[in-house]
Amino acid sequence: MDDSARRLLQRLIRRIPAQMLKPTLDKWDRLTAAHRQSMDFTESKWALTEKLLAIYVIENPDHSMWYALQLVDPEDDAHSVELTQFKEQFKSHLRELIRHVSIKIKKHTDEAVWIRIAWGDSFSRPNHLKPTYVVHHLQTPYVFVTSLTSKLKPLLSQALVLSTRYQAIKDASLSARKLTAIRDLLMRQYQQVFPTKYPSSLVENNQNASNILINKEQAELAASRHQKACEAFGDGMLPQLQSAVYKLETKFRDHTNKTMTEREEAFRCVVKFASTNLLESLRHCASSGISSTPGTSLLSSIPLKGRNYFVITDNGPGPSSQTRQPPN
Amino acid sequence: MEAASTKAGVLSHLSLLEVQARSRRTQPQQQSRVKELKAKVEALKVQKQQLEAEIETHQNLQKLRLSLDKQCADEEDVEMEEDSENSQLLRLMARHTQLKDLLHAHHLIGGYDIIKTRQGKGVCVSLATAYEGVYLDTYNLEIDLKPTVKIGRHNIPPFIPVNSLAEVNDMQTNMRAFLDALSQHLNAFAGRKQQLKLLREQHKSIEVMESNVLCSILVLMFKVPSAKTAVLCTLDYTDHSSCLPTRVHFECEDKQLPDSDQWKKNCSLLMETPVHTALTAMKKMGDIV
Repeated sequence: MDDSARRLLQRLIRRIPAQMLKPTLDKWDRLTAAHRQSMDFTESKWALTEKLLAIYVIENPDHSMWYALQLVDPEDDAHSVELTQFKEQFKSHLRELIRHVSIKIKKHTDEAVWIRIAWGDSFSRPNHLKPTYVVHHLQTPYVFVTSLTSKLKPLLSQALVLSTRYQAIKDASLSARKLTAIRDLLMRQYQQVFPTKYPSSLVENNQNASNILINKEQAELAASRHQKACEAFGDGMLPQLQSAVYKLETKFRDHTNKTMTEREEAFRCVVKFASTNLLESLRHCASSGISSTPGTSLLSSIPLKGRNYFVITDNGPGPSSQTRQPPN
Repeated sequence: MEAASTKAGVLSHLSLLEVQARSRRTQPQQQSRVKELKAKVEALKVQKQQLEAEIETHQNLQKLRLSLDKQCADEEDVEMEEDSENSQLLRLMARHTQLKDLLHAHHLIGGYDIIKTRQGKGVCVSLATAYEGVYLDTYNLEIDLKPTVKIGRHNIPPFIPVNSLAEVNDMQTNMRAFLDALSQHLNAFAGRKQQLKLLREQHKSIEVMESNVLCSILVLMFKVPSAKTAVLCTLDYTDHSSCLPTRVHFECEDKQLPDSDQWKKNCSLLMETPVHTALTAMKKMGDIV
């Protein structure tokens, strides 16, 4: 939701008389029963606006880019951190680091802990129109954030590390518009395919049989390609990533171009793959035979390592730059 | 003159053909047919010999398998009858089929299954989980064997510490211990998850206040009819390789209640039986609704 939409909502709520708010929302009929119940109409209009915005973000988590962070080096008691402890610790640590901040923590039915942070500074009260959202599953090392400026990232990182009982946090080099995509990829909640003694029939839905005889000849080859493509990327609905970026810092290699090859320093370039559903496109390339199978490990590293930002040097693909900041 | 020479050409050609046909007809039809059949007989004889050899090998294998199985059962030393290449090869083949059958049996009883991948440079392990006789999720783990023993890709969720289990059980030298430990953790997790699912299905009146993805903590709210009060029950599953809790704790406004005999019994019930069955028993006794 952009700023103008948010301000419009604010003004709307302000103009509707207090006693008409509940009947208006009921008549609008766009909130689920659970959400309607959670709206406390004795609260101030400001609180109600915030609540509605929060519901909007939770129901539509794809309106901005989500980034994955990874907690590293757990302490011994990291595995027994429970919700109330985490909530208290996070709030107190963050409040120690920055005075004017508004934190709301809520647990969802899928065990995801949602944190909404409205940041203020020494001069102004917390800005509720541009909150940061953080999603974390306890006992996993992954944290998903959106709408976080580079200035505030170290504060959030510190609070997260201390409250989850890990020693450090790093950028997981994975970002996408859909929270579900990066979450499913890292939590391995999509259908992966492994070599098995009892191969199930991975039915390929492409039944464009133009010629039955051609199909018959190609059937075995097609099945084998499909199996390998699914082993590399997965079966069924894949997490919807929109892009993959490869930053190359390798020497230029082309015999026909001497001037470029003779250069000492690395040829820097960035290769970006973009698609509405990148993993689906890559899988289709492999299964339809456009790209050879087994495909290059650079592409299959995306689901294997759970990241879509790679830095490739002459020594091989290395860890992404630690200083990469999520652009705002 | 032209017509005559071409006619002569045609005629001579025709007579040539006639001679050819006659020379062919002197060899009787039946002879070629007989030849065909004889050749077929030879081919079938060769096939029969091959099959007989296969049957004999198979029978020898069976005998060897029987003696091997008996030896494994009695734990006797291996008898070397003839040291010929043939019998060694047969012995190897028998051992191979024995191992394959053992793996298959292991797979049937719900243990893990292993197949070779990447031309023998790796294996893929399939770990099945089950609880109370019901098969649940199957997890897969690819392990590279060459050049080093290393864990490849897998679909085990991130809250199961695969890497630390590999370290602790020394996967490099003792693969079996690592796989057994991993299977134990996965089965325990699947068991706890299943208990939570059954609890939610069978006991809708009991509110689940807290749980987590690893199912290592469970906080429930009981309503006690006799005391007209609520009891908060915390179940800690700190041993992640077990389906049962390591600690059960009750909290209640009435401080005396958790110390009563009845509730002490409930405490041990919850420690010793799966949570959904324990709750059914507690409901039957009227302690909770």
